[in-house]
Amino acid sequence: MSLRTEPGRHGSEFRRRRKLCDIQRALAKDPPDVATLRRMAISEGGLLTDEIRCLVWPRLLNVSTEELPPPPGPELRVNNKDYEQVLLDVRRSLRRFPPGMPLKEREDLQEQLIDIILQVLARNPQLHYYQGYHDIVVTFLLVVGGPLATLLVDKLSTHHLRDFMDPSMDNTKHILNYLMPIIELVNPGLHDFMVRAEVGTIFALSWLITWFGHVLSDFRHVVRLYDFFLACHPLMPIYFAAVIVLHRESEVMECECDMASVHHLLSQIPQDLPYETLISKAGDLFVQFPPSELSREAALQHQAERTAVSTFKDFELASTQQRPDMVLRRRFRDSVRPENRNKAVLTKPRTNRLVKLAVMGLTVALGAAALAVVKSALEWAPKFELQIFP
Amino acid sequence: MSSATGGDRGLESSLEASINSTCSYGSTRARIFKIIVIGDSNVGKTCLTYRFCTSYFPERTEATIGVDFRERCVEIDGERIKIQLWDTAGQERFRKSMVQHYYRNVHAVVFVYDITNMASFQSLPAWIEECKRHLLTNDVPRILVGNKCDLKDSIQVPTDLAQKFADLHSMPMFETSAKNTNDHVEAIFMTLAHKLKSHKPLVLSQPPENTVELNSGAKTSFPCGC
Repeated sequence: MSLRTEPGRHGSEFRRRRKLCDIQRALAKDPPDVATLRRMAISEGGLLTDEIRCLVWPRLLNVSTEELPPPPGPELRVNNKDYEQVLLDVRRSLRRFPPGMPLKEREDLQEQLIDIILQVLARNPQLHYYQGYHDIVVTFLLVVGGPLATLLVDKLSTHHLRDFMDPSMDNTKHILNYLMPIIELVNPGLHDFMVRAEVGTIFALSWLITWFGHVLSDFRHVVRLYDFFLACHPLMPIYFAAVIVLHRESEVMECECDMASVHHLLSQIPQDLPYETLISKAGDLFVQFPPSELSREAALQHQAERTAVSTFKDFELASTQQRPDMVLRRRFRDSVRPENRNKAVLTKPRTNRLVKLAVMGLTVALGAAALAVVKSALEWAPKFELQIFP
Repeated sequence: MSSATGGDRGLESSLEASINSTCSYGSTRARIFKIIVIGDSNVGKTCLTYRFCTSYFPERTEATIGVDFRERCVEIDGERIKIQLWDTAGQERFRKSMVQHYYRNVHAVVFVYDITNMASFQSLPAWIEECKRHLLTNDVPRILVGNKCDLKDSIQVPTDLAQKFADLHSMPMFETSAKNTNDHVEAIFMTLAHKLKSHKPLVLSQPPENTVELNSGAKTSFPCGC
């Protein structure tokens, strides 16, 4: 910032103020203009301040803030199957709290963090705690405070994070399977190198299931990404993961071509990534290669494992349709059914239009990304749309 | 929000980087020993691997998600060897579908339990079973490490109980503390490296006296001042 010239600084200050006005106006509308809020959360700088996030995040998740849940009683922790693991993870999560925070204050927050996690799990017995979930919850706690965080995390856990909270991590693994096809579409050389190194995708596991909260030191970067992910399709984190790998192409290619070297390099995420550029690139990639185009690719590679999952899934309730992985699977099934081929062709022109929009420039591309996300979600999962996108 | 935490990370990364840089020995390629470290959540797998690879104890570690990787180059009998430690997540759900990939081509396994936590010791049969499922051969060297023996007042797993268990599974057993500098973390991993280098069963290996000051053997358990 300090290196910028005066006019530039004024320019960015002007844009910032205009954005604040736009957000206020969108919030003041009845009902709130969620499409605009979504665009604001995606575009440069995201939602700017935590005060704004407190107002906008609930809108992005379609959560009513009128009735906040009361704090839980001590019985919540008694005979709780998850309590021990949650306690271990929260106790060790010191890095997530601002340095210099008084000990008492931090300990209070850690207690609240445990309560939020256990409350959400108690309200949704179908959900299973995973290490890393606490990294997501702490972000909401620090930004919006305990009671509201409980509501937001509850919604997020039954939607965006749903697949990570299955009894097993098979669906999480399935979502990770989309990483390599995205990389291949953009940079086949890099893809081939990574395949030869047999690096796998576990280096991106903590990125995906914590929305990068586990690996980024600077809280401002974490909340900026959360703005982006909350405004986007649940699969956006895997696009962002791909963009980071693509961004580090030259480093990767200089590695020795073996699993250890490449895994080591990629899992050490640089702290000075150009977040805004990467966010806009991830948005572009999503428009250009929506999950529907990737699902066949990933599915063909992993048909066996998918079949097993699908069989299991048939027993599940309608809520499964809201899961990111379920969305992918449905697209796959649809795309192989002959009667649906025509449908795919019919939707093609819209996709092309968005791709054209996306290459017109940064601002337009981001607008297009937001549009694509909303529309795609509607197309893929009507129930998801009803609950998340009002 | 976190310039200090950022600094912490920087420190850790630069330490790892400096360790790694010692691995580039010109044109000679070091032999690689790949070791996987497994055990329950919070037994100290991350601290142990940190201690060996960076010679310091990280005051603040977090839950490991998936698999972390650390390495260090050592010299044994004039040969340069790269020791790769794969530090795995303790939570059960990760190992079921995530960790298999990392069992491939493993040269040795380190089972870790927390001597102040009986449950972590009782989980060992499950970890051994899991290891059997993933490793094709039975002759992969395995060792058992009881960690946190600096916490003398909270011991729950008596040494002789652990030793019996180790004997039953034909593994050498060590008690140590990743926190204390004099508690043989270095020696434990070096013993394993010697064993791997010599390709002889661990019971028979006699590391050169000038490198590691201990005799490895099936009955070995380090006195750690507890």
